Order: sequence, then C-alpha cells, then structure tokens
Amino acid sequence: MKKFTPYLQALPLSLVFLAFFLAPLCLVVVISFFDYQAYDILIPDFVFFNYEDVFSSQVTYATYWITLKFCVIVWAITFVIGFFIAYFLVFHVETMRWQIALFLLCTIPFWTSIVIRMISWIPLLGRNGLVNEALKGLGIVSESQEWLLYSEFAVVLGYVHLYTLFMVVPIFNSLLRIDKSLVEAATDAGASTWQTLLTVILPLCKPGIAIGSIFVIAMVMGDFVTVNVLGGGQVASVGKAISTELSYLQFPPAAANSMVLLGAVILMIFALMRIVDIRKEL
Amino acid sequence: MASASSAPGSRGWRYGLRILFGTFVVFLWGPLFLVILLSFQGPTGGLTFPMNGVSFHWFLQLLEPQPIGDIWGSFERSIILGLMVMVLTVVISFLAGLAFRARFKGSTLVFYLVIASMIMPSVVVSLGIGAGFELLGIPRIWFTSALGAHLTWTLPFGLLIMFAVFNRFNPAYEEAARDLGATGFQAIRHVVLPIVAPSLIGVALFGFTLSYDEIARTSQSVGPLNTLPLELQAMQTNVTTPVIYALGSVTTFLSLAVIGVALTASAIMHGRQKRKGSDAGSGLV
Amino acid sequence: MSIKDKLNSGVSRRTVLKGAGAAAAVGAASTFPAPFVHAADPITLRIAGTGVNQFKQLADKAKEDLGINIQYTSLTSDDVVKRAVTQPTSFDLLDSEYWMLKKIVPSGVLRGMDVTKIKQYDNIVPIFTKGELPNGSKVSLQGVSPIKVSYLKDEVSKEFASEPTQWMTLIPTVYNADTLGIRPDEITKIKGADFKVSSWADLLDSDFKGKASILNIPSIGIMDAAMVCEASGMVSYGDKGNMTKAEIDATMKVLTEAKKDGQFRAFWKEFNESVNLMASGETIIQSMWSPAITKVRSMGVPCVYQPLKEGYRAWAAGLGVPAHLSGKQLDVVYEFINWYLSGWTGAFLNRQGYYTAVLSTAKAQMEPWEWDFWMEGKPAAKNVVSPTGDPIEPAGTIRDGGSFWDRMGSVTVWNTVMDEDRYMVRKWNEFIAA
Repeated sequence: MKKFTPYLQALPLSLVFLAFFLAPLCLVVVISFFDYQAYDILIPDFVFFNYEDVFSSQVTYATYWITLKFCVIVWAITFVIGFFIAYFLVFHVETMRWQIALFLLCTIPFWTSIVIRMISWIPLLGRNGLVNEALKGLGIVSESQEWLLYSEFAVVLGYVHLYTLFMVVPIFNSLLRIDKSLVEAATDAGASTWQTLLTVILPLCKPGIAIGSIFVIAMVMGDFVTVNVLGGGQVASVGKAISTELSYLQFPPAAANSMVLLGAVILMIFALMRIVDIRKEL
Repeated sequence: MASASSAPGSRGWRYGLRILFGTFVVFLWGPLFLVILLSFQGPTGGLTFPMNGVSFHWFLQLLEPQPIGDIWGSFERSIILGLMVMVLTVVISFLAGLAFRARFKGSTLVFYLVIASMIMPSVVVSLGIGAGFELLGIPRIWFTSALGAHLTWTLPFGLLIMFAVFNRFNPAYEEAARDLGATGFQAIRHVVLPIVAPSLIGVALFGFTLSYDEIARTSQSVGPLNTLPLELQAMQTNVTTPVIYALGSVTTFLSLAVIGVALTASAIMHGRQKRKGSDAGSGLV
Repeated sequence: MSIKDKLNSGVSRRTVLKGAGAAAAVGAASTFPAPFVHAADPITLRIAGTGVNQFKQLADKAKEDLGINIQYTSLTSDDVVKRAVTQPTSFDLLDSEYWMLKKIVPSGVLRGMDVTKIKQYDNIVPIFTKGELPNGSKVSLQGVSPIKVSYLKDEVSKEFASEPTQWMTLIPTVYNADTLGIRPDEITKIKGADFKVSSWADLLDSDFKGKASILNIPSIGIMDAAMVCEASGMVSYGDKGNMTKAEIDATMKVLTEAKKDGQFRAFWKEFNESVNLMASGETIIQSMWSPAITKVRSMGVPCVYQPLKEGYRAWAAGLGVPAHLSGKQLDVVYEFINWYLSGWTGAFLNRQGYYTAVLSTAKAQMEPWEWDFWMEGKPAAKNVVSPTGDPIEPAGTIRDGGSFWDRMGSVTVWNTVMDEDRYMVRKWNEFIAA
C-alpha cells in the first residue's frame, strides 16, 4: 500500500491535466500539421511548412528577441523587489497574523477585475493622467511625459505590477524554512547584514527563487494581453503574434507557433533546473 | 523557523525595508486608487479624466439592471467558480506535493506537463478545450469545462508553491509521529497539515485570485454564460460607463471589510486563548 | 403622445386581441401571435455576438411580445468568429459582421434563411438585396460589399451565390458608414481655426504626431490604412478590399514608417478603448465608430465625426442561423427575426446612431423629429436622448455627415477579408515588431 501512495496522491492532478490539457495539447499538435487557406481554414494534412514558416521568418526572431528582452528585465526587477519584500515579511514582521494581513493587503488589488485595472492605467499614466498632473504640479517636468504609457516602459511596469507577487510567495515559503540558528551563528561570527544575506540566506532560498523565476518566465513569454494594452498595440511579443494569427482564424500556424514557444520556454526552464534542482530538496 | 527576533541588521535595514514595502503597496494600489476615485464621477462622466462632477450616481446604477451586460450574474458565477477552484487547487496541489516527495515513475513527465500548461498561451489551451469538447459533443458549461480550464492554470502554481513549502521539510516530525503509533494518514493529518497550513492559505488565496481574474483560458471553454472578466471585456464592445469602476470599488470595500472582520475575530479568539492559559491551537509553528 | 405611450397602448390592445393577428389601428403596434403560445413552454434563444446588439431592453421586449427567452452570450469581436467556427452548437443565432461570412460560410456552419418566410423581405434596404441604394445608385463593391455575400447557393451550402437566391446568409441588423473622429478643439490649437480636416491623409499629418490612432481589428484597420495611403497618393489600389501582395507591402511600408516616426499613440481594438483614447486626450484623430463619437460628446468633450472627401468605410452586421438548428427551434428563430424587422428594434437601434435593415417599419416607430435628425440630417427639434436615457445631443445639432443618403451614398469601401490573408498576417506581425 505504501508504495502506491504517491501514485494515488498524484492521481487527481494527473487526471485533471490529462483531460483538460494533454488532450487539447494533442489537438494543437495535430492541427499544427494541417494546411490552410484564406477561406478554407483547416485542411487535414501532414505538412511541415507551418513550422518552416516559423523558423524561416524574420518576424519570429525579432519577436522572440523582444520578448526575451522583456523576460530578462522583468525577471531581474521582480527578483530584486520580490526578494526584499519576502525578506521583510519573514524577518521583520512579528506575528503570522501580521504576515497574512500584509499579504492580503497586497492581494486585494487583484480582486478588482483585471479588465477594470487595465482600463485604469490610462487615467493613471496617460497624457492627462494623475502621474503627469502630479509631476507637472510639483514642477518636476513642464510637459506631459508620453513615454509613461503605450511604450515598452509601460509594458515592463505592467509586468512588474502583475508578477512581483509571484516571486514573493515562493521565496517567502523558502525563507520560512531557514533555520534561524544559522542566521544567528552568522551574525555571532561577525557577519554584516549584507554578508549574511549573500552567503547564508540567499543560497538557502535558491529553490524559492527558482520557482518564482519559472513563474515569471512562463508568464512573460506567453503573455499577449498586457503587452497589447500597455504597449498600445505597437509593442510586439510572441503571444501577440499568435493571437493575431488566431484573430484571422489561421489555426495551423498559430498552433505551430505555440508549439515552438512551448519548446523554447521548456528549454529555458530545463536549463534553470540544471542550476537549481528544486525537486532534490523535497 | 525564522522570525522577527532573529532579524540581522540595524535600524537602517528595518526602516529601509519598511519604506520599500510601503512603496510597493502604493504601487500595487495605484490603479485601484484611480478606479475608486473615478467611480465617484457624475452622470456624464466616462472612464478617464476629465472628471465630470462628483456623485454617487454610478453606485446607484450598479443596483439597477444593466442595459447591456449581466454584471451581477457573471459576478456571482466568478465568485462561485473561484471558490470551487480554490478548494480543488489546495486539495489537489497538497496531495500532489506529497506525492512528489517520493520519486515515482512518470513524475518527471507530470512535472513538465504541469509546467507546459503555464507556458502554453492560454488562448490556445482554451480553443483546444472548446473545440475538443465540441468534437466530442460535450456542452461547455462554466462549472465544468471552465473549471477544468481554470485548474490547468492554477494547479501549476499550487504545485510549484508546494515544492517551495516542502523544501527541506524535516521528515523527523512524521517519523516521530509514526514512532508514536500514528498511521501514515494520521501523520499527515495531524502533523504535516498543521505545519503547512499557513502556506496552504497562501495557495488558496492564489488559486482564488488567479481564477477570478482569468480571461484567456476561460474564453472558449466557458459556454454561453460568461464569468465576470469575460462579461466586462465583452461590454467593451459597446459603451461602458463608470458603473464598472463602481463595481471595483464595491468589491474592494467588501474585501477589506471581510478581511478586517476575519482578522479581528482571530485576534479576539487568540487573546481569549492566551487568557485561558491553554496552548492548544498555537501548534502552528 | 410620446413614443412610450404609443407603444404601451399598442401592447395592451394586443393582449386584448389575443390571437387575432390583426394590425392594431393607430400607433403602429407590431402584429404578432400572442405570447401565450410560448408562455406555457418558454423557448430560449441563445444569441452569440458582441455587445453592439445585446441590449437588455431588446430581450425584455422580445419576452413581452413573443414569450421567448433571449439568452445573450457577449463576446469580443475576435471571439465571435472563433466561437462561430469552432463551437457552432453553442448558439442559436449568430450576430456576425458581413465580412466574417467569408470565413464562416466555407466552414459549413451556417444555414441559409428562407426569404419567403421573412415578411419584410421586400422592404429590406436594397444595399443588401440588390447592391443598390434606395434611389437606384450602385453601392461600392470594394471590400466585402454585403451583396457579394448575402446569398447562398442552397439552404446549406459552403458557397456564395452571385445572384440573389432564396437563401439569405444574414438578416441585416445594424450597419453604418465610418470615418475618422477628431477633436476639433485640440486640432484648432495646433493648426489654427482655418484648418479643416478634409482627407483621410490627414491621419498621417506630422503635426499630429503621437496623437493619432488606427484600428487594430484585422479586416478593418488595414482598410483605414488603405484609405489613408490612397488619399495621400502614396499607394494606388485596384480593389482596396482585396489587395495584392505588392499593395499589401506598400501599405505596410507606409504604416511602418509612420509607426517608427511615432505617429501613432496607440491602436485600439474595442469600442470602449476608442472612447477612452479620445476623451482622455491621448489621441486627437483616429478611426472611430459613430456611437463612440456621441459618447465622447456626452461627456462634454468636443468630438466630431468628420466627413472626408474620399468617402466612408462601411460595415454591416446581421443575424445568421447555424446549420444544426431545425424543427421547432428554427421556427422560433424565424418568428424572432420577423419581430426584429417589425419596427421596434429598428427604431431602438436607429436612436443609437446605427442604421437598420427595414427603414419603413422603423420610421413608423419613431417620432418624426427623431427620424429627421437621425436619418434626414435635419437639425434636432428637441434634445436627443439615447434609449437608455443618456443625453446625446442638444436641440439644434445636425448629425455629422448629414442624412442617410449622404453618408451611405459616399461609401467607398467595405470592411473586408482578403485572399492574401496569410501574407497579410505575416506582414502585420512584422509591422508590430518593427
């Protein structure tokens, strides 16, 4: 019985994914090999040209480059901010009740539907928006700063806004596991805060960092909503290219593009796992 | 387990971190603040500045049946769906997290399948589910097919957080329990569960929030009745009024109220326990 | 008597004349079998479409007049086509645009509607049935002009008929002629009071740098771009609605240069985004839809729907029936369609700034001064109010662009789907990535 326990425990998860992900995924793979025309959107066939188109097109490389750029920048920012927020919550907040309370404080904005929040960026960052009016009022600038909205800056800002918490939570959980006596030992041995941080705490929460990174990478690479709204439709991303194809009902190339994206990101995460094996320390 | 008293660092650190946290919260609340501000627009107001007067008009409008769009119906569906997803996510992730502690055959495959689900553009997954169900002749309903779609989104997060939770989880507790005669099940229920309970609350929050905000994965798998974000998005194809801002404000106030009540209640109960001198319930490490 | 009173009196008379089926005398009530036919066994019609046509008042009136439950599935414009093609069993009526038919019909998911069962068929505006305006002049065939896709070869067919047949693809619901919307106040600040925006080419005017916008919906944005390119003399087209690869390249080149120059502030995809952009001052000249202009104006922000010398870009939407429907449900659909064309709905939509399929019945349900304002291009005799009660225009205003004949008569091109779709998507993605 004991030997089967892990299988039974993993069963619900596996069933959900079998039905709602693996099956659709197979459908997507099949479609990626179909032919298509402008008015005959799915022609069952087995052709490679969808994939050929993806790999031979200049657009692919340009969009992947742009998306990767975002990924790295967003990862770096969310990591730094996320780590210190988690550190603050674990080491500088007295009781668990306060930890939960502060967490909730951070989560509440996300209970205002994302559609509403997306619209509200205009009155916040727009030409006549709150931030610009404040900047002008304080005399810091004389004209509205247009790059605050509908720009790559806005997209990065939006990603940081949405995804920092995804870094905070795993790092928070990892930090909780750190034996405080280790930290005390380091301080007793004369280490400064920075030294303790870098040599003791950071290495011990590597799994948490890795998990947070997986979240951020996966979501930035596949996103098209945020980049579309905050980029004003003028900033590219892989997800957006796929969504444009879907708008035209061009299913086979969209499917092929999605599979390529999947492959690329899985490779990235596989590489990440080589550096930090999050399953080793379970 | 780490706690505040072991915090290394001087007062500089303490204030620096507090300022950082404060700024972060302000940053997160920025758009929401706008939403609340603009929900007090006058009757001729729109969704952006210029602000046309100040009134409670839109809050009153919220109570009326909407000319276009079924806000309350979809809101109800979103809440119910969110709660269902929340519970299922916690249970399934917890179980799967336990499973992954042992190396079972196929665990790598399942792991990468779960990650793939996070990466795959949601819109594609949604089409896959929608079209797949259509081919099989199964109707799409918000509490079945959309539930499944939401789970493919929340479970990867739940599972990976469980990895962080069980990271270096000391097996000594369970061994001790077993030495004292507990069965495997009892060890999990009475030893493991209480220890990870706070993190499970975190997973629950995550699960609910992810589901409540989910658009792309739901769009093709939800069937004829929309969830709130889908309905709001569909309303964008026609005139939309600050009534949706009013909705945002109301949900915020409600959440704050609920949380405030819950925290106060728990503080009172904790205080009562302390006074009674029992340490039951303080076993949450 | 106000419109409301007239309609109410019509209703009460009708319920008295249960089953009589005779037209009520004065006040133009609709003539329908009484609701009690369905009251015992209420049928639900599922209508999938965008929010343009999904008013609760409409559903309530249908319930009142016919006893049918209307269940709306509100979708974004993108999702309508996707849902139609991948999940046709999930709806009973599809609210789709005419250009979408070019994708939907070849998939075999639509069934033709029998025109002999449609009472008002002969009164449908001939734009859809003959490709002409009511005065006989031909409508532009550039783009997906409705007449090209209005008829099927057979009841269930994947091919369009080139001549009118018995089987119609869509019953027109709303249509309109689109042009650029502008902020006259801001433009005057930049260009002085003498300047009048008069051409599509003005969208690329470098004085408006960083303040222009264009539609991001496939089939529409590219058309606006084509109008601009042709107007500025940079590209010449055979059929703007069906571009060759070379024409696509040329158009996208112009757009890409403009984008790199920073001409566009943002692109918009949905109605509401266009309102927000204009009202907040982010843009001062952009593609726009007529009701969006009225909304911006009702917020107290000056905004004008500018007639341009090169003409309008038009679009049309309609209700279509999925192939899987049959029997009782199909009969109810015909009932609903006949009710839809009987006037109340037409008037309702007219009052929002759209045009409807059957003008005569809609006219009968509108006050004369309303008709004059919305359709004849005459100054409003009273304050214009939307069907939901929001103020639209003060008395004395003239509708931008004038009368129905002026506007629909100046249509140069229709929203479209092109043969070189595949190529265009790639080019559009390139443009975004540039």
